[in-house]
Amino acid sequence: MTEAWWLSLGFLGIGVLIGFLAQRARMCFVAGFRDYLLVRDTELLLGLFSFLATVWLATSLAYALGLLRQGMPEYGELEVRTSVAGQAWSRVRLANLRDLRLLGTAEQAVPLASLANRFLYASLAGGWLIGLVSVLAGGCVLRQHVLAVQGSRGAWLYLAGFYAAVPLYYLLLARLLTWVYQ
Amino acid sequence: MKAFTITPTRARPRTLKPWLFGVIAGVLFVAAEALLGIYPPSAYAFCLACHVRDLVNTAWNALFGSALETTLIAKRALLLTSPGVLLGAFATAALYRERRRQPLERPILYFLAGLTVMTVGIVIFGCPTRIVLRAGYGEVYGIAALGGMLAGIFCGTLLLRLRNRGA
Repeated sequence: MTEAWWLSLGFLGIGVLIGFLAQRARMCFVAGFRDYLLVRDTELLLGLFSFLATVWLATSLAYALGLLRQGMPEYGELEVRTSVAGQAWSRVRLANLRDLRLLGTAEQAVPLASLANRFLYASLAGGWLIGLVSVLAGGCVLRQHVLAVQGSRGAWLYLAGFYAAVPLYYLLLARLLTWVYQ
Repeated sequence: MKAFTITPTRARPRTLKPWLFGVIAGVLFVAAEALLGIYPPSAYAFCLACHVRDLVNTAWNALFGSALETTLIAKRALLLTSPGVLLGAFATAALYRERRRQPLERPILYFLAGLTVMTVGIVIFGCPTRIVLRAGYGEVYGIAALGGMLAGIFCGTLLLRLRNRGA
């Protein structure tokens, strides 16, 4: 078996394990705060915070031991970037790495700071929208996967919209945005 | 406090404490990234939005010869996380007999919600899980997105309360 097979199987295995655990724990990254606000139930919120704390400790340890490579969490180098977000992010990333190889021309180098700010505001607003919509739909994406296989047809429709949004975004919305911004 | 018309979080008592889920998942994601060498994007061991994006775009590129954007890791492997979650949760739900046919209400809202979450997820690089994961990695944009998400949940619960008061 080649490396690609093992890596694909690794992703599948992570998915199966998390599916098992999430079904058992009824885990949802949105319902924790919602349940706390509505009925003061802190059990799921505790799950979110323990996840956050564990990741923080584990990454600190792994960085200290040199097990993880430190990089920006979005795209690799030499990426095919077609979307506005991808372009903006690549410039932010390059600014952070002080790696000017891919930064083609001088006029691209100017809006680095403003693009970083723009991505910060996009993260804030996008996170807000994801939280709002997830509460209205009754769960985060992980929870919708679990609900779908438990027999909720609404969750299947949610997943249909979830998958359909990818070609819609790249074939329609990204081109529209690029056209608007240029 | 009166009951709300939201999807019930627990039909039966849970057998795994959520805090334990958080600990296992956190260790698993970081360990998988270190051991499998999931690198070019960092903090990428688990994300339903990004992995689905990469999977769909890889399939689309293979089918139609286009060049839609994927991460570098998606050129080395298929990111089968979302089918894996469906598979694992299906096997578990079947094993513990927790599969019920539920009535379908507000189908348009569900579809639009999925559409919105994925579109926003492509723009800000993350489903709720990976937003928390990135915040745990200490990335500024992840922390900002987590803060925004908590504010959004607050507004969403306000909406739920208003709707319940009106009904």
